[in-house]
Amino acid sequence: MFERFTVPARLAVVGAQEQARRRGDDRIRTEHLLLALYAVPENLAVTVLDALGGGREVVERAIDARRTGPVGDAEALATLGIDLDEVRRQVEDAFGPGALESTRAAGRRGARSGGHIPFERAAKKALELALREALRLKHDYIGTEHVLLGLLHAEGTAGEILAECGLRLDATRVVVEEMVRQRRAG
Amino acid sequence: MSDATRVAAAASSKDPAVGLAAVASLRGLLESLEELQVGNARRQGWSWQQIADALRVSRQAVHKKYRRFGL
Repeated sequence: MFERFTVPARLAVVGAQEQARRRGDDRIRTEHLLLALYAVPENLAVTVLDALGGGREVVERAIDARRTGPVGDAEALATLGIDLDEVRRQVEDAFGPGALESTRAAGRRGARSGGHIPFERAAKKALELALREALRLKHDYIGTEHVLLGLLHAEGTAGEILAECGLRLDATRVVVEEMVRQRRAG
Repeated sequence: MSDATRVAAAASSKDPAVGLAAVASLRGLLESLEELQVGNARRQGWSWQQIADALRVSRQAVHKKYRRFGL
């Protein structure tokens, strides 16, 4: 399936993993895919999102608002008044640069946070639906715009947030179709 | 305190998601610090008994945990 993805769409899929990792999540969820779309330069999905009221800031705020619990060790420890940066400084003074991260204990944590993060079911489904959306519009590639439609089509946080922003699948399909036509004409 | 620290510190510790995540991160930090300190002590010639006493655990516990590290 991935051979039909355009370069920007592939970047979004790869970027979703980075978004999940940055947020300390153990699964790639639909909201990570959505966030990754904004990080891909000049893509049709973001043009559509901006035009329909799903701008980056609004969506990021909505995703953060749904988040439960702190993200990452630094933030979690800060809730106890522990400044991880300061701890790291003290440890490095004694044991040298990177000492804390060089421990086996940190390595085990890293294996969790640095390794491959699997796609959660709904996120996988959104990518399958991206393919279906492309077929439906008779496009012979899967671009970021189809990933966006897939996210709108699939269950999951991304779809819910986009719905809150006022995006509807049918209306967005029409906009995507029109924009693709314009791009081809222009 | 950094901005992130202040914001996070303001979060409610009554929220289990916040409290449990803090415990998990603290445990991870503890494991790393213990490993660094045990390794340092061994390099300075401390016996397992001395290390165990300082950590207030049994010699067996600390030896079992760290001998595979080749310390």
